Amino acid sequence: MKKIRIYILAIIGLLNFNLVIGQPPSGSTPKDFILPAKKVKNFPNGFRTTMVQFGSIPKATISLIIKTGNVHEGPNEVWLADLTSQLMKEGTTHMNFKTLSKKVAQMGGDVNISVGQSQTTITGTVLSEYVPEFIKVVADLVMNPAFPASELERIKGDLKRQYNVDKTVPQSQAAEKFYGALYKGHPYGQYYPTEEMINRYTLQMVKDFYNKNFGAKRSVLYVAGKFDEAAANVAAQTAFSKWKPGAAVFYPPVKAVTSNDTLIVDRKGAPQTTIMVGLPTLTPKDKDYVPQVVANSMLAGSFGSRITSNIRENKGYTYSPFGFIRNVPGSSLWIEQADVTSEHTIDALKEIEKEVDRLGNEPPSKDELEGIQKYEAGIFVLRNSDPAAIINQLNFLDLYHLDDSYLTNYVKNVYKVTPEKVSEVVKNNISYPKMTLIMVGDRDSIQRQIVSPKKAF
Amino acid sequence: MRYTTSQPVLKLLYVALPLLLLIGWTDKPKDNALQIPITYYKLNNGLKVVLSQDKTSPIIAVGVYYNIGFRIEPKNRTGFAHLFEHMMFQGSKNLGKMEFIKLVQKNGGVLNGSTRFDFTNYFEVMPAHMLKPTLWAEADRMSGLAITDANLINQQGVVKNEVKVNVLNQPYGGFPWLDMPQYANENWYNAHNFYGDLADLDSAKLEDVHQFFKTYYAPDNAVLVIVGDFDIAEAKKIIDQYFNVIPSSPLPNKPDLSEPRQEKEKRFTKEDKLANKPAIAVAYKMPDKNTPEFYAMGLIDQLMVQGHDSKLYQAMVQEKGYTDVVNGGINYLGNMFDYNGPMVWMSDMTYDSTTSADSIIHQYDKAINELMNNITAEDVKLASIKLRSSLYDQIGSFYGFGKLNLLASFALFEDNPAKINDLENEFNKVTPELVKKTAKEYLRSTNRTILIIDPKAH
Repeated sequence: MKKIRIYILAIIGLLNFNLVIGQPPSGSTPKDFILPAKKVKNFPNGFRTTMVQFGSIPKATISLIIKTGNVHEGPNEVWLADLTSQLMKEGTTHMNFKTLSKKVAQMGGDVNISVGQSQTTITGTVLSEYVPEFIKVVADLVMNPAFPASELERIKGDLKRQYNVDKTVPQSQAAEKFYGALYKGHPYGQYYPTEEMINRYTLQMVKDFYNKNFGAKRSVLYVAGKFDEAAANVAAQTAFSKWKPGAAVFYPPVKAVTSNDTLIVDRKGAPQTTIMVGLPTLTPKDKDYVPQVVANSMLAGSFGSRITSNIRENKGYTYSPFGFIRNVPGSSLWIEQADVTSEHTIDALKEIEKEVDRLGNEPPSKDELEGIQKYEAGIFVLRNSDPAAIINQLNFLDLYHLDDSYLTNYVKNVYKVTPEKVSEVVKNNISYPKMTLIMVGDRDSIQRQIVSPKKAF
Repeated sequence: MRYTTSQPVLKLLYVALPLLLLIGWTDKPKDNALQIPITYYKLNNGLKVVLSQDKTSPIIAVGVYYNIGFRIEPKNRTGFAHLFEHMMFQGSKNLGKMEFIKLVQKNGGVLNGSTRFDFTNYFEVMPAHMLKPTLWAEADRMSGLAITDANLINQQGVVKNEVKVNVLNQPYGGFPWLDMPQYANENWYNAHNFYGDLADLDSAKLEDVHQFFKTYYAPDNAVLVIVGDFDIAEAKKIIDQYFNVIPSSPLPNKPDLSEPRQEKEKRFTKEDKLANKPAIAVAYKMPDKNTPEFYAMGLIDQLMVQGHDSKLYQAMVQEKGYTDVVNGGINYLGNMFDYNGPMVWMSDMTYDSTTSADSIIHQYDKAINELMNNITAEDVKLASIKLRSSLYDQIGSFYGFGKLNLLASFALFEDNPAKINDLENEFNKVTPELVKKTAKEYLRSTNRTILIIDPKAH
């Protein structure tokens, strides 16, 4: 007996030993993180500048963000905002495209103009010493665009080509249907134009769109990186103080549709089904927005999240699942998106539903929550440790009317979230039966998997 | 614009890493150049270690690069190097499945891995105080894997879905980043399907995984890089504690990767049932790495295809209106420094069926002739500024990871991470005459492969 006992103890001892060496060591004391300071200037015409010194690399990112975009297009003007920005890029009344692009290349940069639902961004990164010069170029582009008639048809051709190519991409097909359903009748739901629509666009329409929507009141110039701030301020002051104030910021009211519709886009023989499933949810102004961000990271928004662990790391149904909150002024959506192997389309959806229900019905353990809170706190540091990311953060505050305390208290507010609160925000705002579901895939294969259409979802 | 593009990197996670751009240095005086601090040494077991401090933010980037890419994976196992990369997240000696990921995530970090031509990398970006556990975890999986058949079957499913989402269910899937090496190259190592045939992926066995680990995942075939806010002496101590005990292992001889000199233009057409517009890619074989011509090609790339002022953009987009964007660069799966074998300089674009491929090729010939006949010292200077600027972008990208990637590549391939601080000199040596000479030999029409996508969707 005695011998056996020793033997057992030895095994336990061995296991304990393994357990000891098998645990990761702890980290040292966390270092303080101080948000990079921003300097804001307001001009009499409504224009604003926001500058942030960051990093040691002798470059800076300059972004002029104008609060206009596809949201200001009429029902028959889809992508008119894109046409306007592309034509704006073609040069100013002082410099044609060729001269302008060479000038900017000599600064180590490039000018890019991108259009989103609610904002248009003119951006570039240049070597530090050229920041003032680049600000002047950006100002010239946005204030004195030439809108050359000679380039109109070529750019319309580009838009038609992009539209045709994009329409064949399954994720774009899903997005068109999804946003079309959730934002029915609103510009946010107008995802694609038609070729005929683009054909009808004239130079006058471009100029009208520009005159109506571009101006100082809607614009903020961000500069982040390592640069001479005084010189940048002089350049911004000289260039932008003369800009017309233009229209005030305006976003048309929106109410996203809540429905449990299921829509299938047939993609014959597709090896995967592209799924988008989601619903309207809390906006950044809501007091429970930060808890919702935490809940999303736990449910679907991180690699270790429940849905990703389940349908990817456990079942192997997909490579690319991710859940996110998509904000536009006036509306936010929670969305889970995944490309799942065709034969497991419905299996994957059942697992997504199961995970959403589980988190809504059972508060997570404190441990699981603490892990996600630490993750969010760490990601917050990353979101403020890169010039372009810093600009994104500051623009987020501006667009959604949040004050600086959103950032300064963010980590504190993340840690305030309780397990019960996570469950509550999921139950109240991320409820599976209220979700719209889009599936882009082989219709026959999907339908074969649906035993009873309502029950299956 | 609602526009989707796919990211051509074989990797563990579907996240948008910044595309690694072409980089270079400047003709400015040396005291203006950015100098990266570097500590470089080797452990007794052969593990290379690069440490580079940067106290901008309280974060660190830790990367382990193994000198095994998809180029030299086993011949009957296409896609295996990448499948194996996924297995490195499935469980090691002391960390079960998902535990590595959770360790990183619950401490506020992010991680990923990717498989490239000549290396496989694993990296974490973490809060600075997590140096010790991060190094412990990387050492743990360098020490050995603890994985099951179920893990392998699971990741075969995940990887097959990766191939489907990036290639099989996408218009222009794999074009041209995965396709072109298969058309342009002659040697199997450079010319096989790196993502893998689905049948090959399915046939992989647990024994293959163990064998592959044993063969290539040894400390003497790897480099560990730490970048960010950490203490050098402390890091050395931890590295010594966790990594020095891992035994080295004899490495197989590297196969012959060389490509014959191309003497004839090659032209291929690939049908794409999902695409509705034609596309074209043109690839020229690169000079050997680190030759004077190699650096000249870095500048040629800038002049020909990088930025709106480049010759191809001006011709194809502005003047002819064939397309709205010309993509291009050296090494679509990285940059001009993070590979170690034959490579192409490539560019590609989609266009309308009303344009003929020959008219596009004609514009290439015209631009190349212009480059060869008219290159000036001023052009070379412009290219240098663009290179320097994109190098800074690269070094600053992804919270230190861009810098880490260069240091790892220079340590792994050249045993000299300090080369990052010497690129300026190399690019400064490029003259207009060298650009001409390089263009004459490497931008010959007989040195190129053209791949055209024939769209079959309507």
